[in-house]
Amino acid sequence: MNKKKRTVTRKQQFAGWVFLAPATLLIIIMSFYPMVQAFITSLKTGSGVNLKWGEPLFVNYTRNIPADKIFIRSMGNTFLYLIIEVPIMLVLALLLAQILNNRDLKFRGLFRTMVFMPCAVSLVSYALIFRTLFAREGLINSALMGMGLISENINWLGTTGTARAVIIIGLIWRWTGYNMVFYLAGLQNIEYSVYEAAKIDGASGWKTFWSITVPLLKPTIVMTAIMSINGTLQLFDESVNLTNGGPANTSITMSHYIWNEAFGQGVGHFGYASAMSFVVFVMVAVLAAINMKVGDSRD
Amino acid sequence: MKKKLLALMMVMSMTAGVLTACGGSEADAGDAAPAAAEEEATEAAAPEEEETTDLGGVSDDPNTLTVAAWDANFNIPALEAAAAAYKTKNPDFKLEINTVSGSSDVENAVTNAAQASDYSTLPDIVLFQDHWIQQYVSNYPGAWQDLSGADIDWSDFGSEKLSYSTIDGVHYGAPVDNGTAIFAYRTDILEECGYTIDDVTGITWDRWLEIGRDIKEKTGKYLLSMDHSGDDLPYMFMQAEGLSQWKDGDPDIAGNETYQKILQVIVDGANDGVILLCNSWSEYTDESIVGDQVAGVMNGNWIIPTIKQVAENSGKWELTTIPTLSGKEGYASNGGSSLYITANCKNLDLAQDFLAYTFGGGEGAIETYDNALKNGGVITCCISAGKSSVYQEPDEYFNGQPIYADIVAMGANVPVVEQNDFHYNLRTAVGTAITNATEAGGGSDLAAEIQAAQDDIVRQMNL
Amino acid sequence: MTDKRNKSAIQRRLIPSYIFLVIVCFISVFPIFWMVTAATNNTVDIARGKIWFGDQALNNLRALISAASSQGAGTSLGRFMGNSFFYALTQTVLSIFLCSLAGYGFELYHDKAKDRLFGILLLAMMVPGVATLIPLFVMMSKLGFINTVTGFILPTIATPFMIMMFRQNSRNFPVDIMEAARIDGLSEWAIFFKMYMPIMKSTYAAAAVITFMNAWNAYMWPRAVMTKNSAQTMQILLTNLSNGYVIDYGLLMMAVLFCSIPTMVIFFIMQKQFAEGITGAVK
Repeated sequence: MNKKKRTVTRKQQFAGWVFLAPATLLIIIMSFYPMVQAFITSLKTGSGVNLKWGEPLFVNYTRNIPADKIFIRSMGNTFLYLIIEVPIMLVLALLLAQILNNRDLKFRGLFRTMVFMPCAVSLVSYALIFRTLFAREGLINSALMGMGLISENINWLGTTGTARAVIIIGLIWRWTGYNMVFYLAGLQNIEYSVYEAAKIDGASGWKTFWSITVPLLKPTIVMTAIMSINGTLQLFDESVNLTNGGPANTSITMSHYIWNEAFGQGVGHFGYASAMSFVVFVMVAVLAAINMKVGDSRD
Repeated sequence: MKKKLLALMMVMSMTAGVLTACGGSEADAGDAAPAAAEEEATEAAAPEEEETTDLGGVSDDPNTLTVAAWDANFNIPALEAAAAAYKTKNPDFKLEINTVSGSSDVENAVTNAAQASDYSTLPDIVLFQDHWIQQYVSNYPGAWQDLSGADIDWSDFGSEKLSYSTIDGVHYGAPVDNGTAIFAYRTDILEECGYTIDDVTGITWDRWLEIGRDIKEKTGKYLLSMDHSGDDLPYMFMQAEGLSQWKDGDPDIAGNETYQKILQVIVDGANDGVILLCNSWSEYTDESIVGDQVAGVMNGNWIIPTIKQVAENSGKWELTTIPTLSGKEGYASNGGSSLYITANCKNLDLAQDFLAYTFGGGEGAIETYDNALKNGGVITCCISAGKSSVYQEPDEYFNGQPIYADIVAMGANVPVVEQNDFHYNLRTAVGTAITNATEAGGGSDLAAEIQAAQDDIVRQMNL
Repeated sequence: MTDKRNKSAIQRRLIPSYIFLVIVCFISVFPIFWMVTAATNNTVDIARGKIWFGDQALNNLRALISAASSQGAGTSLGRFMGNSFFYALTQTVLSIFLCSLAGYGFELYHDKAKDRLFGILLLAMMVPGVATLIPLFVMMSKLGFINTVTGFILPTIATPFMIMMFRQNSRNFPVDIMEAARIDGLSEWAIFFKMYMPIMKSTYAAAAVITFMNAWNAYMWPRAVMTKNSAQTMQILLTNLSNGYVIDYGLLMMAVLFCSIPTMVIFFIMQKQFAEGITGAVK
């Protein structure tokens, strides 16, 4: 009996490998192979096709990156976005998912679609809309002026603090609905009766949120947290399209700076850009590993 | 067991299917897409619609050339004009124009092709930005073919324009547009404050700043704006002085007195509300120029169509030369691009003949450039083509000034200054210096900021 | 009677929720509303920040159609939309199939080795795309996939992210019924098709929306691999239209509208599936 059970398990184990094989192979070919090549490139210096091996080999990592004040600054900017934006966005998305999961709520479909809409809008228009809203003579300034909150127009995109704030606002605006989708889908795997029971017990909305929704959604929350960390540390679009990294590089992100070095200024420092990419890689990997360790236990 | 085998086979065929079936065949997705949306992905591809136009690729037809270019309102009409002109000589000629979003698309396509050592994705001819071509020829020498075989009288072009596309004495590019910088003023606003266009012509920057402060006080308008994400004014200001930001291949800005004075003009202008520093290109064009916030515009003459977008300001503009530190009239240029033949061009004779006959000042040049001007606002830097009657016509928008003849004349005076591959890196670094030196950016010491910019460029050049 | 009172009491308790939602939705939708009105205005009005409807919609549409057809031989608005739909749908179907299969394998047959492998796979998404763009392009060029749908989708059909989505959402999958099914003689594949797929309906729906959106909005890779204009997508058309010395914003916003509507419609259709799915329908 025992013996039989073990063979069945082994058979199942094998089936598991078969199921995950196609996607895994594709990822190895399409992601890991280019990554290895990028790592080899990261050991080179020079530009264009005239790349030479670094002397010493790790010169990009040991000397060039630490000496690059702009890259260090971009690192600081990116982490600032990460620390402020990700928690606000994820909590907001969870709250919205919880509210919109309530079957007593009317117009749920409409509300859900409206919350999701910002991330359906293509980047070009999103950037255009935000730049116009936050322009010196834009709607935000007019509104604040009308309410008497400010006496002269704020140069939102041209001042360090406000430029960063616009990027964070833009991120929250665009990605909250996106994260809500995962939570809504995840909530469907929780028996709705759990909520009904909580309601009968007279638990408040907050209590249900913290004691039912959050714990049961933990796997999904871990996933969205990893995705948000990954996305924020590789943040590119907002920096390029909203502030162009300005003023004086105070809002530039790491990926934006890497892009500039590789493609953005006519001088393709592909070796150096690849080396910086691997610095980003290490940072994301460490944070994601911590996340998995803390949150992904199967209890 | 049987089932397991079946499962394995399914997975394998699935993977194989993913890798090949869904479009890996010769038929390309572009053809297949709309028709095949239902099922049968590529099998539905209709061979009849086999195309030739391709940023990737050339045509087999001996009378067809492909070209990649950007800006449907500027360069594309110029290319169309050239294609029409060349038909007089070769009635079977066909020019396939492939629109891209901007110079960066062409640059990246060249980069990708060069890295793959496979130029077959490039068209016969590309439009390429002047400031970057030297870098791309030195980085990817295999991507280009030179124009030595073309029958072009090079002395018919402004030497400044040619200085970009001539590399080690070899001509690589056929010039299209003319980047000569103009300084356009709203004469109605000048008048309102008691000035004429002559009062702002041939003046020193100090005098210019005085006038600017006066205008700001009386009308609330800035006298000039700059796209502060591109920071092209310092380059033009220096060129107007006859100087470069480079010397013998090194940046020449730290400790350069003229350069510091010039940046001081921009910093003072920004502090005193004379120069508006815009955060982006769209803020520069849409808000400052179309949004009527400025009384003056200085840039390459390709900025004229932007100015003309505001119909109600017709007749109120006039253009002139650039102020300098000494008060002599300054000439500069900015932007502009030329046409280059890629390594993928199999029909070199046709490409050279086409370029020589049209943009190169041949028999079709007048027709090409006249229509390029009328349809796209592209101004020639071919001196003989600039003498055509179309160029002499007064422009109503600019108060009857024959602006195109004026611009061609100005173009002949633009001094040749040293160029460098790191042109844009320097612009970015100097932009940071300007921001930090203005009051809004903390008002730090300009000389120290310029030194920091120089250090940063040197660092980047050694990467 | 009591039922009715109960209902109105419930609705009353929901008032704070409604207020919150209305505020959030206003913030979400206002910029999009502006985008819609901008598509009906001319460029000078838009640049100056007009936020109400104008009468230029038809002109903008006409201008868009002609601008789209002048992008190169064989291009038209229909072609760009068709390409975008074709690539995005192909990618969505293949991606959710392969990734759900992998997520199923990783979670429901999990052991130490598989968990470790999954951790390694996650690394694949952590290098900025800038670094792998050129190696990937070189690879596709050697394989002859430039300008093909294969070249477009191949690098993104299997993503650690989608696998993770299925893996994490399978955590609450009722494992007992798998055992029961096995005893009934169902094969592992049959369990996947007959039980896993229907039970995970809401995850599939969400994954479809997300994958479609990502594929539809993809820009950087398509721009590199689709060198031929007639093979390009709406996003590339949009970028072509939004660069230049003089930009026609009316036309551009009309293009943006065309670009945004499909994702919104797909979301609206699918949202019931993933937001109101019922777990445990299969017993």
